[in-house]
Amino acid sequence: MKTLQEQISGVIEKEPVALFMKGTPQMVMCGNSMRALNALHAAGAPITTVDILPDPRIRQELSALSGWPTIPQVFVQGELIGGADITEELLESGELQRKLDEALGADRAQDLKVVALELD
Amino acid sequence: MEAETIRALLEQAFPDAVELDVKDRTGTGDHFQVIVASPTFDGLSLLDQHRRVNDALTAMLRDGSIHELRIKTKGTA
Repeated sequence: MKTLQEQISGVIEKEPVALFMKGTPQMVMCGNSMRALNALHAAGAPITTVDILPDPRIRQELSALSGWPTIPQVFVQGELIGGADITEELLESGELQRKLDEALGADRAQDLKVVALELD
Repeated sequence: MEAETIRALLEQAFPDAVELDVKDRTGTGDHFQVIVASPTFDGLSLLDQHRRVNDALTAMLRDGSIHELRIKTKGTA
């Protein structure tokens, strides 16, 4: 089995847009995770979510990798975009859409995907 | 009072701030909205601006005394 750190960096590197959040899109457990999810959705992003709640180590490993202390965290093609405030601000300025157009093309798929990390 | 501590830490980190506001959003002393406008942010990406604010409050984020932090940063240019 891959370590948590390997799994997390795998998601960040491989998924076009990764959202580390509290809960899942079906059951969002935090207002800020909801804000980030809604902003990404409004920008027409494909979204891969990872729930950080099942184990506190997920958040520890994630923050160690990203250098970002809070949840949610949004990555586009491996690059940290920020948390809910930045994602919303970038949506409002149109920069989020531009970034997604640039990274993934304007006619991108908008699939929603949930990844569950394997815990030992 | 956590809001006062946050304000003090931000004032220390951004002595040249032209605007600095800390609000307890829920009245429970752990959900905060901070607004900082400072020339320090001029030319920095939004991500790096927020990093500076997070850095100033690292200890409080780490020990859980800040449960939620909303950040609004502005440059002065």
